[in-house]
Amino acid sequence: MNDRWLKSNTFHHAEFKDIEQLVAAKERRQLKISLCLPTLNEEKTIAKEIIIMKSELMTRFPLLDEIVVVDSGSTDNTIDIAKSYGADVYAAKNILPRLENFTGKGENLWKALHITAGDIIIYLDADIKNIHHRFAYALLGPLLMSDHIKYTKAFYDRPITIDQQKIRATGGGRVTELIIRPLFALFFPELTQILQPLSGEYAGYRSLLEKIPFPIGYGVETSLLLDIYERWGLDVIAQVDLDRRVHRNQDTKALGRMAFVILKTFLERIESMEKIKINTPLFHEMIQYKLTDGEYEAEIHKINPSERPPIISVSEYCEKFNRYPE
Amino acid sequence: MDQILEKLPGFVEKIKEIQEVIISNIVLIGQVPAPTHYEDARIEIFLERLSDAQADYCATADFNIPTGVIRGSSDGFRPPIFVVAHLDTFMNADIDHNYIIQKNTIIGPGILDNSLSLGVLASLPVIFRHLDLKFESDIVLAGVPQSIGKGNLQGIKHLIDTWDGPIRGAVIVEGEQLGRLNYYSEGIIRGEITCNVTATDGWEHRYKPNAILILNKVIDEILSMELPQRPLSRIIIGKINGGFKHGVIAYDARLGFEIQSDSEEMVNRMHDEIKDIVNGIGHENHVSLKLHIISNRVPAKLRYRHPLVKSTVAVMETLGLQPTTDSSESELSIFLARNIPAVTLGVTEGKNVHRDNASMKIKPMFTGIAQIIGVLMAIDSGVCDE
Repeated sequence: MNDRWLKSNTFHHAEFKDIEQLVAAKERRQLKISLCLPTLNEEKTIAKEIIIMKSELMTRFPLLDEIVVVDSGSTDNTIDIAKSYGADVYAAKNILPRLENFTGKGENLWKALHITAGDIIIYLDADIKNIHHRFAYALLGPLLMSDHIKYTKAFYDRPITIDQQKIRATGGGRVTELIIRPLFALFFPELTQILQPLSGEYAGYRSLLEKIPFPIGYGVETSLLLDIYERWGLDVIAQVDLDRRVHRNQDTKALGRMAFVILKTFLERIESMEKIKINTPLFHEMIQYKLTDGEYEAEIHKINPSERPPIISVSEYCEKFNRYPE
Repeated sequence: MDQILEKLPGFVEKIKEIQEVIISNIVLIGQVPAPTHYEDARIEIFLERLSDAQADYCATADFNIPTGVIRGSSDGFRPPIFVVAHLDTFMNADIDHNYIIQKNTIIGPGILDNSLSLGVLASLPVIFRHLDLKFESDIVLAGVPQSIGKGNLQGIKHLIDTWDGPIRGAVIVEGEQLGRLNYYSEGIIRGEITCNVTATDGWEHRYKPNAILILNKVIDEILSMELPQRPLSRIIIGKINGGFKHGVIAYDARLGFEIQSDSEEMVNRMHDEIKDIVNGIGHENHVSLKLHIISNRVPAKLRYRHPLVKSTVAVMETLGLQPTTDSSESELSIFLARNIPAVTLGVTEGKNVHRDNASMKIKPMFTGIAQIIGVLMAIDSGVCDE
């Protein structure tokens, strides 16, 4: 296994603290940078993310050119709050309306490629409680300061909020350790060097992102990694230590549903890479059980198996960005 | 002064234009816990934010007090003007210091006391540039540690006592409430009475005195003390705790109180009386009953007709604020006791100040900041120089 990558392509956010230097690199390369925040009912955290990014990376330093919120249909005040603090807010269903409408994080990220203008797009989850502008500038650092790195992923300590007031110092990352890392170790040992492959914070050049498919749901992080790795190799990827990210704790059942989608995405990807042959159709329903009045009752969660094709294959996109389908 | 007052209403909208800078500072500083005596992490972020705001000189002074200086045009000829806010909080470090920003509200522990003020201080260099404001005096921005409770204002005392040279005037910034105007401090003695009953094994403990009931006797006697209306004097019983189990007598109990009066003599007289009560009850009940003084401050005040007070009232009224005056025993008392003219101002409206769900309103904050700037301009124009 090539373990050189872990040393050469792993960074710490402090290495990119000189934001003026990043701005100079951005201007030298004549790049535009977009920040995309996918949302679904994030009224408690969305304003903080917009305000801090706008203050630090737009008002103080012109590193970001736009902040875009792509919403999956929030029923709380997410949209209203995001607009009031000056973000460009889009309902995912209104982007590329000719296409069939899906709901999911991956769908939002894919559609963001159409409505943003940046040569680099940063994706940050919108539920980060301890948001800091390092989450954006650190992901940009390797992309702007290196010639060969085209995609960056975050890793961090992951304390989780265990109730309204208390924080547990360690935890999180259970799906990574129990599902994705064993799978990587089995099929792609090199990829185990990526410490948090499921982290929701990443950034990449449009020139890569537009050429790969996006699953519409939870599988998008796994899928992006595998596709970039397969097509361009591990050296175009870097990972950045962002120190600490506080997020909501998810219960085991929710993690189970997430694991189901990730597992399914992974299996389908490696089958298409001809690494395995699955001789039976995979089902699209995650079945869990709950005890109601002394009886076990099945809870069936239908998982939409859809995947968006590389956006460069969409005519509206090609027209807008003057691209030609591959 | 009229020229200053004319500009103020226009400042409010102009400050709002950079609201994201101010809110970012409030949140980034306030989300770092800083219980009294454990403020190092917040000191670091406060200093970092001052530096990011391009204050001319940023450093921690003796006692680890983070200060930023905005150089004035008089090149040191005019003494500096201080703007200070206490940096420590009542909240323990294990409380989730997460702030939620809504359309016109920020919610989270310590937001009003005192993250808001610190965020405003850290933003002042940016705000001054945005308003194209220049001062003759240096403006010294200081986040003060070891201030509240048992901090006993050690930080501000140290800052002022070790400052080299005179200080022209000072504004103390507190999160709430917009409209407060403090320009006098009562004399206080803040103390604790502790009662300890020797614990013993076996049945004997059933006949021991109960520490909570002993303190109850102390409270009864304090409440029966005769306090004068003139000079206005009072005793606040503020804290009590003790015991450890429902079915067992309390071996330990602790009572926190504060004596407040316009007159230093009355403060001392009431203190002596409480001391006699404590000694008497301790002796009669054969328990260890002790009085500990946590802090002791003499009364100090500006007169209402002092130019700083009159100018501050004019600034507030120009901005549509109705000044509400009361005594304040915070950093203000330390400035006034050293004959430095100073006022304490609130920045915005809010509620639940000392609860985990404390909240502040965003919109009034811009008026609150304009008010601080108006007072700084007044001091810079010479209202404290007489």
